Amino acid sequence: MIRLSVDIGGTFTDVVLEGKGNRATHKVLSTPDHPEVGAMQGITELVASQGLNLRDVQSLIHGTTLATNALIERKGARVGFVTTAGFRDVLEMRNEKRFDQYNLDIELPKPLVPRELRIPLRERTLADGSVLQSPDPEEIDHVAQVLKANAVEAVAIGLMHSYVNAAHEQQVGDRLRRLLDPQLTICLSSDVSPEAREYDRFSTVCANAYVRPLMSRYLGQFRNALKAEGFAGSFLMMLSGGGVTTLEQAMKTPIRVVESGPAGGVALAAHVAGAVGSSRTLALDLGGTTAKICFLEDSTPQTTRKFEVARAWRDIKGSGLPVRVPTIELVEIGAGGGSIARVDTLSRLSVGPESAGASPGPCAYGRGGSDVTLTDSHIALGNIVAEGFAGGSIALDTEKANEAIEAQIAQPMNMRSVHAAAAGVIEMADEIMANAARVHGLELGKDISEFDLIVSGGGGALHATRIAEKLSIDRIFVPENAGVGSAVGFLHAPVSFELAKSVMRPLSKLDPDALATNIRTTRDDVLTVIGAVSPDLDIDITAHAELRYVGQGQDLRLEFDPDATIASEIARLETRFHEAYRNLYGFIMPEMDVELFSFSLSGSAHLPMATNPVNAVDDTVDRSHTERQVYDLIRDGVVSFDTIERASWVPGKPLSGPAIVTEAQTTTIIREGWCGTKLDCGHLLLERVAP
Amino acid sequence: MTVIESASSLSDRDNIALNVVWNRLISVCEEQANVLMRVGFGTIVREAGDLSAGVFNADGRMLAQAVTGTPGHVNTMAESVGAMLAHVPPDTLQPGDALVTNDPWLGAGHVFDFVVVTPVFLDGTIVGYLASTSHIVDVGGIGWSAVGRSIFEEGVVIPVSRLRRSGELNEDILSIITTNSRIPKEARGDILSLLSCNDTGAARLIDLMEEFEFRSLERVSEFIFQRSRTGAAAAIAGVANGTYTNTLTLDGYDSPIILCAKLEIGDFAIHVDLSGSSPEASRGINCPLNYTRAYASFGIRALLAGHIPNNAASLESITVSAPPGLIVSAERPAPVTARHVVGQALPDLVLGCLAKALPANVLAESSGALWTMSLTGTGPRPFSSLNVALGGMGARPNKDGLSTTAFPSGVGSVPVEIAEAAAPVIYHSKEFAPDSGGAGQFRGGLGQRIEIGAVEDEPLALSAAAFERLKVGPAGREGGSAGGKGRVEMTDGTVVQDKGNYEIPPGERLILTTPGGGGFGNPNERDPDALARDVSQGLVTREQAKSEYGYSETQQEE
Repeated sequence: MIRLSVDIGGTFTDVVLEGKGNRATHKVLSTPDHPEVGAMQGITELVASQGLNLRDVQSLIHGTTLATNALIERKGARVGFVTTAGFRDVLEMRNEKRFDQYNLDIELPKPLVPRELRIPLRERTLADGSVLQSPDPEEIDHVAQVLKANAVEAVAIGLMHSYVNAAHEQQVGDRLRRLLDPQLTICLSSDVSPEAREYDRFSTVCANAYVRPLMSRYLGQFRNALKAEGFAGSFLMMLSGGGVTTLEQAMKTPIRVVESGPAGGVALAAHVAGAVGSSRTLALDLGGTTAKICFLEDSTPQTTRKFEVARAWRDIKGSGLPVRVPTIELVEIGAGGGSIARVDTLSRLSVGPESAGASPGPCAYGRGGSDVTLTDSHIALGNIVAEGFAGGSIALDTEKANEAIEAQIAQPMNMRSVHAAAAGVIEMADEIMANAARVHGLELGKDISEFDLIVSGGGGALHATRIAEKLSIDRIFVPENAGVGSAVGFLHAPVSFELAKSVMRPLSKLDPDALATNIRTTRDDVLTVIGAVSPDLDIDITAHAELRYVGQGQDLRLEFDPDATIASEIARLETRFHEAYRNLYGFIMPEMDVELFSFSLSGSAHLPMATNPVNAVDDTVDRSHTERQVYDLIRDGVVSFDTIERASWVPGKPLSGPAIVTEAQTTTIIREGWCGTKLDCGHLLLERVAP
Repeated sequence: MTVIESASSLSDRDNIALNVVWNRLISVCEEQANVLMRVGFGTIVREAGDLSAGVFNADGRMLAQAVTGTPGHVNTMAESVGAMLAHVPPDTLQPGDALVTNDPWLGAGHVFDFVVVTPVFLDGTIVGYLASTSHIVDVGGIGWSAVGRSIFEEGVVIPVSRLRRSGELNEDILSIITTNSRIPKEARGDILSLLSCNDTGAARLIDLMEEFEFRSLERVSEFIFQRSRTGAAAAIAGVANGTYTNTLTLDGYDSPIILCAKLEIGDFAIHVDLSGSSPEASRGINCPLNYTRAYASFGIRALLAGHIPNNAASLESITVSAPPGLIVSAERPAPVTARHVVGQALPDLVLGCLAKALPANVLAESSGALWTMSLTGTGPRPFSSLNVALGGMGARPNKDGLSTTAFPSGVGSVPVEIAEAAAPVIYHSKEFAPDSGGAGQFRGGLGQRIEIGAVEDEPLALSAAAFERLKVGPAGREGGSAGGKGRVEMTDGTVVQDKGNYEIPPGERLILTTPGGGGFGNPNERDPDALARDVSQGLVTREQAKSEYGYSETQQEE
């Protein structure tokens, strides 16, 4: 069984091959104009280096930031949006809220479809699904003329209350399909995101239509290029929700793949959690501009259907376009390696969310960056050493970092030592990340101290022990191959698909038969999508109900058994809702009706795969330990760190902190009070020593 | 860069630790606010964030506050805790106690807003307080309406009382509230939510104190207050000293109201004197001084010092006064339900003063008061539907105003699909109102036109309490034109003239057109491409483009 994965990011394309008990990885530069070109180069080079041929590869799993970038850079299709007359401005009015109270200067994202291409159609369905006014076929014909005259490249249809009754959208879609170019993309909001809240649903269907022509074209070209090289296996796509699906499904709803890269990173964490036996896991990925966290239980990541793309204003929550499709629930924190540290007019130290990115980057990179970044602080402190940084590709200027920290942090804060100021920046970043995890854990009703931490990204292992201390976490895992983590994650993601439907009825007023039918058809739809990958998969179905007290705005998500009698499940859900509510908020309101806001069904199946590859200890590297002197803020003094190369670390041999473990893509800091071991599978385990 | 002198007495380690704690305190409040949003029942609380949460020190002085929240709650709450402790001496408080009130003069200006204050004990001593406020949809009386002639008609008022005593809920107080409310279950749920979110915050505060081995919050209070005071002073020092005045006219209940402000800018402080404003009105659009302070100072803060976090010290740099008995300083028992009609006009009033100190830096006037749309079904199956209809924000000095977005309030609207699922009403349309944005080099934000009716053939009761700016549109600045004024009418020809109660007859619809924001700068200076886009998108009609902007067809073709 030989399997390949390809993760195309903005800068690099990562290719990973697994089979016959080994894993090989390859990194090439991305080719943004024709992403498949760079990908094919990486694939052919890697396959050849293993003495193989593309014909030998059974499956290929792909993730890409292409759709996300098209949304951010506004390089998608010219979309025409057909909507209920009287509501053409929903897309532009948004939720009519300022996302920052104290900033009078904020800007909102431009709608994906400008007003002149938002075409009203007289029709109306009401909240209960009844029809107030049916669309007039002649008016639909007129809409078709307008769409033609405007030379639209894709059509989105979003009508009021279509999540409860999709008949009008289907009728309009069918008629337009007959009248317009049969190749033209037509997307219905009731297909893409059948959920209440018109702005969110319209935004989702428009975003889908916006990226679909581009994604279909690109994926088609990639498939042809692979075929031309003899590839005859299955071509699967990574979804934002953490699973994989068929190419055809991804071409139909490409909005479901926007977060495939981060989802791959979490899939790797899920895989590692399974391999090391971690049942409750907090995944932290610390990259160049942001950090991302996700909770996993039994190797299953928390998912959500609320997500925002293409934030228009300083990366602030609320300034982007809402997308309501299944997505790994990642909390993104504006604290990455490139995040800028500042002291404001109140002598207050802050880190992020503004980032120096890769260009101009940290001061120490000497590429014109002049703001102090988190990376500069690590360099000044000696956590990162100049020698051999990024495989020698970037020469670090430690002096520049020191000078900038002295001028921009130490002096304005009236601090005596540059090292203390640098350590302060790092402590602040640790605090921001730990805080986000703490807050998110509370929202989900989880006790973080019972979780393990799995870190990835360039900075994860630098910060892990301190963040774990702040969260009372006792075990940390630092996986292997974290540098190509997403691509490795793709290979271990299950095949999965999730569909959600809004119900919005009190439990006492539900029609059990209608609900049972609704659940059954949704389940059939899920099975069909997954079955398309391979007919002999063993599909596991999970169902969730989203419940709340009538009148509340947010719901609790509880699992139910879709095979049990619906009446008994409704009764059980009601009891469990009260329990869960008490657990989260400390009180219940048994006198209130409980409402089923929506339900979702998710299917998942594991693909057959080879046994886990093991990377052996490299005998060629230097095994000697060295000492590194690093300032420690808590001790307020210099501490000596035992320093070793990761590749030379013999599995099973403990290493007590303070210690530093180096490798090409990251550095692991083991603080005092922690002890590290390398596991047989190559991952590092850091455990807190009893105080 | 301002350097704090006494900071030199701090060790590097403590300096960082205090920074970390400050950051964490703000997060504690944010979390409190999030709990409230998740469990709140009123659509306005949950969809729109009409709430506030904060941490206070043992002296009842505010240390930090959630950035979520509307200014009317944010700034009033800072004073509430001290005011409530004046009624219940701290030395009588026990662990597990919590205080509550909805007294408009102690809380947030009308009976709908409840404040809950929870003391936090560490080793038997009060180390601080958590407070939160949110809007409860019904507390009896005449309900959401401005027709009341005194506070006694506007709903039940709970004096400062123990909502919980040593961990035991005070069901007596709760039952007074639920007995008086038309929606007792939701009212109870909302009050318990306030308790719950304070408890969440209190637990976090104790964790934090243990982690940093604090016995009290004294040191961190001093750190936060000193830096905030200095930061606020530095922001004010950037504005030329002097006295600046401004006047603004509102429709009023049924006759115009004048609001007058005299802004005195000193070296490090600003004082707003509202003498000369109209006297108290006989109907419920009066504003208690605590709510007046909240909005008047918010307008100044948002322009000059938006980056400085809210706490007792940063708020102290701006003071507000008015002789008692004016519409901005109404005294008990004046009716105050729709106090936001006046309160939310105050930022425009004080920004108008600042525009004289900082010409070319201040946005034009905005649509002001949130238009609360309160519809009640009086047929066989009674219901009530509450939403807001938002107008345009004033044009900014370098960009257009935001359309259909509230300012100064931060409240958003409830989605139509959610509103229609919650009550048997139909929104027949909700679209931008063309030409409503004030003309200018930068155009004011657009208002909107909403057409709404009942599903059934039944009459609807409407409160017109908050439909303001029907007579005069929000003014432009630096040569910009005024934004469109609002209009409220029915399909049977009725036109709303005052802030009283109305009935929409069976089968008829209500048509609201909200005001647009004022324009900024000379309309002739508008970027021709931006104007052409407005015209082609139908946001500005050809007629207005010609009359206000001097637009010509040939210009478009070039």
